Amino acid sequence: MNSRLVVLVVDDNPADIVLAREALAGSSIHSEIADCADGEEALEFLHKRQKYVNAMRPDLVILDLKLPKKDGLSVLAAVKSDPDLKQIPVVIFSTSQLHQDIMRSYELGANCYVSKPGNLNDFFSAVKSIEEFWFGVVRLPPQGE
Amino acid sequence: MAQTAATRAADSAIFSLPAAEARERLAAIVDSCDDAIISKTLDGVITAWNGGAEKIFGYVSSEVVGKPMLMLFPADRADEESDILRRIGQGKNVDTFETVRIRKDGSSIDVSVTISPIRDERGIVIGASKIARDITARKQAEKRLAQQAEELTRRMAELARSNADLEQFAYVASHDLQEPLRMVTAYTQLLAERYRGKLDANADRFMGYAIEGAQRMQVLIQDLLAFSRVGKQDLYRQKVDCGSVMKDVLRALAPSVAESAAVVSYGVLPVLWADRTLLAQVFQNLIGNAIKFRRQMPPVITVTAESNPREWRFRVSDNGIGIAAEHAENIFAVFQRLHARSEYPGNGIGLSICKKIVERYGGRIWVKSEIGIGSTFVFTIPSHDHGTKEVSKA
Repeated sequence: MNSRLVVLVVDDNPADIVLAREALAGSSIHSEIADCADGEEALEFLHKRQKYVNAMRPDLVILDLKLPKKDGLSVLAAVKSDPDLKQIPVVIFSTSQLHQDIMRSYELGANCYVSKPGNLNDFFSAVKSIEEFWFGVVRLPPQGE
Repeated sequence: MAQTAATRAADSAIFSLPAAEARERLAAIVDSCDDAIISKTLDGVITAWNGGAEKIFGYVSSEVVGKPMLMLFPADRADEESDILRRIGQGKNVDTFETVRIRKDGSSIDVSVTISPIRDERGIVIGASKIARDITARKQAEKRLAQQAEELTRRMAELARSNADLEQFAYVASHDLQEPLRMVTAYTQLLAERYRGKLDANADRFMGYAIEGAQRMQVLIQDLLAFSRVGKQDLYRQKVDCGSVMKDVLRALAPSVAESAAVVSYGVLPVLWADRTLLAQVFQNLIGNAIKFRRQMPPVITVTAESNPREWRFRVSDNGIGIAAEHAENIFAVFQRLHARSEYPGNGIGLSICKKIVERYGGRIWVKSEIGIGSTFVFTIPSHDHGTKEVSKA
């Protein structure tokens, strides 16, 4: 069966998705990466609706805050208030340094908040740290309903 | 009533004359007075009209004597006359008041008026004397002054608005520039990582310049953002022990203190009503600069505070390279640098942030310095909170 861990990256900037993929491609964990470009699409993916009926349930969501259609905080709120989805760890990955964004994210149940670094190496190491921590250090909720 | 010697002398001079001559002399004085001196009956009919009244109101005596005083009143002030006549009828004075009257040519004139009852030999009130003074010039000056004050208020509001606009612009610009710049930085770095040594020597050099430029711009934008945030935040005020702020600051600066073998000492520092983070930023920037701009010897830095009834005055003194007098002002400007980046790194934002923070608390900051001897940065924080709203930290 599919034993690879799945990361869903939600970001409207394709350049950032490419960078995240580059970062994860170099790691030894070999997780599977899916991506969505807006908040609505992300929720369709998570609920396995529309074109995502066959989507895999992600083990980790890396979520940007500034998203078209439905912003990151709304997606976070929707995930964390859904009994089927709320066990999935959600990492907010945003350039926003605003205290209210950070506070609001944790209030809504974000599992952690990581600032998107401007520098390539910092960006790579941030993404790798997220992967290594959640897929290497942490005990994730057991899969399979 | 107190009389001066001069008026007493004048009185006695007049009263020592024969009665008819004295009356004539008095009439001449009244007539030549610049103020309008008018008498009227208790019904408000004009009985006497001097030269001053002619000048002020434009009517000669023959045109008005026997006519009602009301002819001088604007329609909307006709009530004044009945009030005046009532008071006079009761034997009371009408104290000096300012009002408007109408001239012969129909124009209005600002006057100050005093009215007193006239009594006959038995003390019965038989009429009133009215003294009116032309106060047009004073009224116009007052109006001009009020207009100027209004203009000034308007301009200040305009300035405040354009300042706020500018600040908002700096914030939005620096904030929104971050995102595309992040792409440029990351991807030039990725390019270099992947293709360095695979193109030619020129390409490698070009990539190096592009990366360096993008990185420097990133720092500049972050600094600008930090600077404009100082103006945007609500000004929190909490009890802050400056001594403990100093401990935090020295902990943050520990690596550069150790590296430069700096000796930082501070006296007894007050407890202030301010924002801890902002205050720490001021101390950290000033002490950080004192360490950075050192001479070939370990920096010796002293921080002291003293109070006067109005404010706390802080001094951060060093034995560093010093600043020439002609730069003492402009070092506080945004991105102002006096040295090559290779000599002393930095963007020149630190002191402008200090200035902005200090000024937000209603204080001032300046420097006294001598080249090759050292600098003393002085800043003040007013003891009492006048301008800012107190906000407790959430």
